[in-house]
Order: sequence, then C-alpha cells, then structure tokens
Amino acid sequence: MPGILKTAFNRYWGVLLILVLWQAWVTIGELNAIVMPQPADVVVDLVGNPGIYLKNGVQTLALAGGGLLLGMAFGSLIAIACWFSRLATGMLVPLAMIFSSVPVVALIPVVARLLGYDIKTVMAIVVIVSFFPAFVFTSAGMRALPPGSEDLFQVLGASRKSRFRHLVLPAAVPNWMIALRLAAPSAVLSAMLAEFLMGQSGLGYMFRAAAGDFATERAFGTSVIATAVSVITFTLSQRAERAVNERWR
Amino acid sequence: MSGGTSILLDHVGKDFEMDDGRKVVAVEDVRLEIGAGEFVALIGPSGCGKSTLLRMLAALEQPSRGRVTVDGEAPEELSRNHRLGVAFQDHALLPWLSVEANVELPFRIASRAVDHARIAELIALVGLKGFEKARPSQLSGGMRQRVSIARALVLRPDVLLLDEPFGALDAVTRRQMNLELQRIWQEQHISTLLVTHSVDEALFLSDRVVVMSGRPGNILKEVSVPFGRPRDPEVMRSGEFHRLEDELTEALEQPGVAA
Amino acid sequence: MIRISKRRGQDIAYGAIGIAAFLGLWEYIGVNQLAGLTWPPLTAVLAFLFDPSRQTLFVRATSASFSMVGAGYVAGGVLGIVLAAVAHLVSPLKEGLGRLSSVIHSIPSIALAPLFIVLLSKEWSGMAIATLNVYFILFIATQSGLAAATRAHHDVFTVLGSNRFTRLIRLEAPAALPAIVSGLKYAVPAAFIGAIIGEWFGATRGLGLLMVSAMQNFQIPLLWSAVLITSAGSLMSFGLMSLVERFVYARYR
Repeated sequence: MPGILKTAFNRYWGVLLILVLWQAWVTIGELNAIVMPQPADVVVDLVGNPGIYLKNGVQTLALAGGGLLLGMAFGSLIAIACWFSRLATGMLVPLAMIFSSVPVVALIPVVARLLGYDIKTVMAIVVIVSFFPAFVFTSAGMRALPPGSEDLFQVLGASRKSRFRHLVLPAAVPNWMIALRLAAPSAVLSAMLAEFLMGQSGLGYMFRAAAGDFATERAFGTSVIATAVSVITFTLSQRAERAVNERWR
Repeated sequence: MSGGTSILLDHVGKDFEMDDGRKVVAVEDVRLEIGAGEFVALIGPSGCGKSTLLRMLAALEQPSRGRVTVDGEAPEELSRNHRLGVAFQDHALLPWLSVEANVELPFRIASRAVDHARIAELIALVGLKGFEKARPSQLSGGMRQRVSIARALVLRPDVLLLDEPFGALDAVTRRQMNLELQRIWQEQHISTLLVTHSVDEALFLSDRVVVMSGRPGNILKEVSVPFGRPRDPEVMRSGEFHRLEDELTEALEQPGVAA
Repeated sequence: MIRISKRRGQDIAYGAIGIAAFLGLWEYIGVNQLAGLTWPPLTAVLAFLFDPSRQTLFVRATSASFSMVGAGYVAGGVLGIVLAAVAHLVSPLKEGLGRLSSVIHSIPSIALAPLFIVLLSKEWSGMAIATLNVYFILFIATQSGLAAATRAHHDVFTVLGSNRFTRLIRLEAPAALPAIVSGLKYAVPAAFIGAIIGEWFGATRGLGLLMVSAMQNFQIPLLWSAVLITSAGSLMSFGLMSLVERFVYARYR
C-alpha cells in the first residue's frame, strides 16, 4: 500500500501543489463565496442539478463529436480528390497551411454572423476547425509512402486505381489518426466558444449565464463538466490512434 | 518455366540533369544480353550506374540512348502485364500488411484471383512457415528480405530483378540468403538480373558476371561462371572460385573503375 | 545565383494561384452578395481597415491584444523550457511535472476562464490563457528535444568524463534546439487563440472585444477587420518563426 501511495505522489505532486496553492490563496486572500466558491458548493450544485448539466453536456459533446467527424470526413475527402490533381494540391495545401497558422477560433464571430445564432452555426464552426488538420495531415500521409513502395507498384504494373487503393489510402491512415487526435480538443473548445459567444444553449452558454447571475458555483461546475467532455473526446481519439498504430506500423 | 525470356539492352545510355543544370552521364554505352533462363550478376563500384541499368529494365527509368527489349517488347509491356518480379535493398514491404498479405499483394495489383496454395508454397520455400500472420515490423532484416523475394516470385514472373536485395544484411545472414536464393531459383529458372557489390555473391549465384566501370558507366569485363548447378557452398572454397574472385576484384580495382 | 528547381518553382506558382483564387473568390462573393450582407468584399474590409479616421481605434485594440499575446508567449515559453529542463535534470520531479502539464492541457481554456477571472482580473486572463497554451507546447517540445541526443553522443561525453552541466550545455541543449524552435513556431497561433479567448471573457480593450461587440452590433466591416488583423499578426509571426526554424535546422541538425 505505501508503495502505491508513493507512486501516486511521484506522479501527482504537481497537481496536488496547485490545489494547495489554490486553497492557500482563498484562505489568505479571504475571498468570499461569491468570488471564489468552496469546492463543496460546486459539488452540491453538480449533484443537485444533474438535468441541466447533463442536457447541456450531452449537447456540446454531440455537436463537437459530430462536427469533428464531419469536418474530418470533408477534409480527407478533399485531400483524396486533390491526390488525383497536382494543380489542386498545389493550390490548396498552402492555403490550408495558412489557415492552420492563424487562430481559427477568431472566425467564430464571422461564421455566427453569416449563418445566424443557431445550433447549426456551432456545428459549422467545429466542421471548419476540424477540416484543416484533416486536410493537411491526410494530404501529407498520402505522400509519405513506405520506402521503395512506389517503385514496387510501378514494376508490378499497378493501375492508378490499385495504387490508390492498396498503397496511398492505407498509407494515409496513421496520419489521419494524428489529425483526429489533434483536432479533438479544438473541436470541443470551439464548440463551447461558439456556444459562449452566441448564448443559446450548451456548456458554453452555461458559462455565460452563470457569469451573468454571479453564480460562481455554477460556473465552476460547468468547468468540471467541460473538462470531462474534453477529456472524454481526447482520450477516445488517443485510444483510437494507438489501436490503429499497433495494427498499421 | 525453364524456357525463360531473353533480354537485350541495346547500346543504352542514361544522362541525368542535376538541379544546377549540369548534365551527368550515369551510363555511357552498354550492350548487355541476358539469355532465356540465364542468371546474370552486375557488379561495380557504387554510383557506376548498375542500379540505373536495372531500373531501365524495370521500366522505372527511360534510357536517354538505345533501347531495352524483352523478347522484342518494351519493358513497359512486361510490367503492364504483371510479368516482372522485383526485390529492392530496402524490402519495400507494406507495414500495415501481414507477411501473407504482402506476398498476396501482386495478385491484388494484377486483379487476379489469389492463389492461396501458391502463397503458402512460397512462404514455405523461403522458410517463413509459421510467420504468415506476422507484421514486417516484427521480423528481422533477413526475414523481411525473404518475404520480399517470395513476393517477387509469387506471380511466376518472366523476368526477376534483384537490386542489392541483401545489401543491408550482415555477412552471415547474407551468405545464408545466397544459399536459399540459389535453391529457390533452382526450382524455376527465370531470366534474372542481380545487381550487387559483392563479388562472391555474384560468383556463387550467377551464370555470368558483368563488371561495370565507374562514372560514366560502361561494361569493363564479362566472366562466365563455370560451376554446374545446383551449387554447393563448398564451391566457394575451390581454387577456381578464388581465382575468379581475384580476377574480378582486380578488375574492380583498376584505376579507371573507382567512382 | 541560386537556381530554383523546376518542381519548387511549380509549387510556388500553384500556391500563389491558390491564394489569389481564394482572395478573388472572397471579393467576388462579397461584391455580388452571394452570402448576404454579412460577407463584405475584401476591398471593402481593407478600405475600412486603412481609413485614417479609425487609425486610433485599431492601433489601440491591436497593441492591447498583441501585448497580451507577446507577454503570454514569452512567459509560457520561458516557463515551458525551464520546467522541462528541470524535469530533465531532477528525475524525481519528472513524472509529476509531466502529469501536471497534461492535466492542465486537458482542461479546455474556456473552463479555466472563470478561475482566472476570479484570481487575476478580466484584463489579464488573455495573457494567462496564452501563457498556459504556450507553456504546454514548449514543455512537450523541450522534453522531447532534450531526449534527442543519440546514445553514441552520450557515450562520447561519458568516456570523456563530462559532468552533468557540461553535458547539458554542450550536448543536450544544442540537440534540443530544433525541437524547441519548432515548438515556438506552433505556439504562435496558440498564443493568439489564448489571448482572444481571454478577451472574450470580458476584457475592456483589444481585438477580441472588438470582434464580440462588432458581432453583436452588426458592424460587419469592423468584425472582419478585427479578424483580419488578428490573422495577419499570427501569420506573420508564424512566418518569422518558420524562417528561424529553417536556419536552426540547417545549423543544428
């Protein structure tokens, strides 16, 4: 038993330290409950109002997950279409790289204005955010072929179609999984940011509403659920990536 | 299959253009004939254009001068009809496929029905029985080359091209692979071109050894190998083998040869 | 004279065509109002942006936001590099720091906003979120960079009887430099995102605030201008870091 405790301490002393500092800050700074809730109050709000947390949490998770998969599908489909045309690749890859080096979340207000304050807009934003990594990584993966394989396929007299099916597409799979892992956290974050800015529903909206009502325990409770949603999405995508890599490399 | 196919590289040459616009003559003027069912080994210093010759025969490169024909046809015809077998120095196995599926790949590329008996037979022939489901990353370097050779042979090609297939292996494994390759080749005499920089590998495996000079690449010398088949490893200890080995090594060491 | 290879020249040409087509499409959609009134033509946005009467507005917002970005970038970068080096040198601390970093990373920055607002103030939460975003990227980059020196190199240092400090300065740090610089490059958009998000949570100045208020008040050219400035800032810093990265890769790899 002491062994386990020691291991746990070795791993989590940093997290523990942060919690201690937080508590110290609250105690020494004598912050009152409206500014800084006690952890217990946060738990009470979470347990006391499961419905509102569940409803909004599920909505955000569904929007983020659905938008993520849709955006990934779009991105990879366009990357695949581009594989057949060097001009299209040459035109789109630099653009996509520009878009991945700018803060895409800054587009949220623009998209919100274009499509209106609606759940569809949240979805559209997640799709846009997930599109770029999927496109960039799938394109790169379809070009990072195993050494010698291109020569081999040519010598074996492979048609373009069979080269695509047996070589290019499977070669892109690990990169596609990297894109999924990278896009998952930003999908969740941008879904919540969109909800926050438009203020209709979802976890992002709950932050806004809680801030407006000075309901700090609600704001912190929402933080807990938001973190859970993010961790779930990230863990799932990481697991998927590992499983695929084991099979693929 | 012992009928085989005859190959002619008729006064071929190959120039490359560098990024800075200079022209480099990789192969100057080579005439090489490979008879039906003959095993020819091509040796030479690195950069002498021996791999370029093989790549022209594989239709991976176009000659700048001259013509390559296989039974009177262009090599493109051969690859289009899936009649070429090839093994490279880096095994070029697909990492996401099992041993079995890698050997199966030529069938899929040729859109032919997969002959499972043939695949099992070849996997056994290269000594990988029991490893059918393994992935390339789980195999040693020697085992990967065995898979790559099985894959080269699976469609019963008319021409077999071997580009330094054992170049990355250690000396002991390499010798062992030479023994096995000669045993496998014994079963179906395919017209074969082996590119190597190892003199004894060339002598042990081939019917004829062709020595190339360094840049620009030209044929310097040809030696017929007198040993009958099947060849026993003992052959490598014979006086005749050593004499030929010295002769070829000497040819490689001529001042003009080094690249 | 440097000759550009044919392939590379083609890549550049295609890329230029792509970007031109994008800008052209933007203009075309705007002029013909294909996406409604909320999609202005590029030229209208630029005209709005460079109108002298709005100079002070944009300069103030931009300097407020970019100073948050810069401060967060520097703070997060220093913190990430130093803590990764500490984790590397003091092995008992290694695992705890790694876990702490990934726990912080797995909390979406929007969920930290209430905390920052309570602990700091609305004005500083942009910098705080930028710091955290940058911190994680550099912690990971530095950590993997410090492990990049090969076994053979370490053996050379061991045989030569090197002490820990010399090994860090002469071997591990130079070997880590490419990874750190790549980290610094990818941290650029992360810093911008952090600062913008922070400002959305109630800052009284900055481009993020401008975006939100323009969105709510239907000030379409203002909205697009604020987004354009932010994107241009991120893109230029990213481009600059790409140049630095190219130099470092040529020198240290």
